[in-house]
Amino acid sequence: MTGTVVRATGLTKRYGSFTAVDAVDFSLEENRIYGLLGRNGAGKTTIMQLLTGQLFASAGRLEVFGREPAEHADVLRRMCFIAESQRYPEDFTPAHVFKSAPWFFENWDAAFAEQLVSDFRLPMKRRIKKLSRGQLSAVGVIVGLASRAPLTFFDEPYLGLDAVARHIFYDRLLEDYVAHPRTVVLSTHLIDEVANLLEHVILIDQGRILLDRDADEVRGSATTIAGPRNTVEAFVADRPVIGREGLGGLASVTIDGRLDQRDRIQAAELGLELAPVSLQQLIVHLTGTDLAGSTEQENAA
Amino acid sequence: MTAVATAPVVRTEARSRAHEIWRIVRLHAVNPSIFFGIPWMIIGAAWAISLIITLIIRAGSGGDVTTEDLDNMRYSWAVLSPQWYLVVVGVQAIGFTFSFALGFGTTRRDFWVGTSVMFLLVSIMYAAAIATLVQIEIATDGWGLGAHMFDALWYGQNWFLDFYTSFALQLLVLFIGASVTTVYMRWRMRGMMILLFTAIALLLAAITGVTLTGSWPSLFAWFGTIGIAGVFSVVLGLAVVSAIVGYFVIRRATPR
Repeated sequence: MTGTVVRATGLTKRYGSFTAVDAVDFSLEENRIYGLLGRNGAGKTTIMQLLTGQLFASAGRLEVFGREPAEHADVLRRMCFIAESQRYPEDFTPAHVFKSAPWFFENWDAAFAEQLVSDFRLPMKRRIKKLSRGQLSAVGVIVGLASRAPLTFFDEPYLGLDAVARHIFYDRLLEDYVAHPRTVVLSTHLIDEVANLLEHVILIDQGRILLDRDADEVRGSATTIAGPRNTVEAFVADRPVIGREGLGGLASVTIDGRLDQRDRIQAAELGLELAPVSLQQLIVHLTGTDLAGSTEQENAA
Repeated sequence: MTAVATAPVVRTEARSRAHEIWRIVRLHAVNPSIFFGIPWMIIGAAWAISLIITLIIRAGSGGDVTTEDLDNMRYSWAVLSPQWYLVVVGVQAIGFTFSFALGFGTTRRDFWVGTSVMFLLVSIMYAAAIATLVQIEIATDGWGLGAHMFDALWYGQNWFLDFYTSFALQLLVLFIGASVTTVYMRWRMRGMMILLFTAIALLLAAITGVTLTGSWPSLFAWFGTIGIAGVFSVVLGLAVVSAIVGYFVIRRATPR
């Protein structure tokens, strides 16, 4: 049985005249891996802080495990959120973090945490302040994995991690997720790194949701058409264009939406090349302000 | 469609959550150097310096130093030396540990109650320790040298008065640091500025009022009548007020 873990309606967070999260609606289903994607400052961390009751919404409704999260112990104990810029108590070391974690997370797996510490080669006795960016990310990743909280957030887990460490995180998360299903929210702007891990994508930009779709659907949802400029332009004339690039007489245009069999045959006959769009490319097209701006103008023209 | 039905939540939270509160005490104590190690090092260093000064006085006066000469050491503030550090501990408990505890899924209420329990336990421990050290200093005639470190200022009348005054002061120091920081965590710099200017304005108004009505002598007379215990009851009252205000302020505070 699946259930809804989070439901947000018109969720808004304002700081003075700045709106960090602007009336977003979304829901998170049980036991799925979500990607909360967007550029720096898009509002990813603010959304996670709202969901974990760390911030109070300015407007809108938010239910996490059926109720408002802030100050509700029975909701909060099901969640784990180590922020990318997490503050730790004075003179804390990773050893202190992992010693106190079981008091807060009832499903804490100490053996798993120990395994991860050696996988990531995390120095246990070094002060948190003295850790490198990658080691700091590893602390958050280890807490997130070993806590096995029903709703776990990973805030920019890849920041500073080397290639081996990224791979370890990827493998361990998938293995452990299969053995102990839970709802995972991964926030990142390094999209290619997590693309294959995600089951659902929520893309935010400037506090608004641009895309809230199944990851498989997103992967096949856009197509790039390349070829001689005039032929390409004629082909995409009445299609939703989300990106345009050109070089001399050649053009490469990205459209939102699938091409059916008939379209593909037509494109082949015109000598156009069709290429799938990666998640990262799609997101660049959707959130790149300059690109989006010029696209709108072109569409209007 | 399952999205319509929200997963039912079994509410297991109790009104009094002993486990949730006690784990905050443990979180504060997991790195024991903050609340215990460093304050004891400060006391130890102040004690050593006091003894060295005593030895210098004795050596400098060629051995004919009187107990009365050394009694001037009663004006040393060495016994209060860890208090300044403990203000900082109160600040850090909220500035750093609060943000961390929220990430670990604590409620603000449980965090403040747990922190208050920690402050109480720490204050009881230091008050008992200082009061006992005063008695030891008296019994050993100033560690055999006539030195005054603990048996100084208002200390030395009896164990219970020493305990009570130390406890009140300790609690005030911790709660002032913590509750002022809750103002920062809730309203940031603007809140701190308003708090600071309000405090200065109130202080100036009080001084002006007392001066204009010419009531300084009667104020000091009042302090005289309530005695040491009375003055520290006022201190304890301020600590309790800080604790209560901090509770209401932190309920809507947000981590940095």
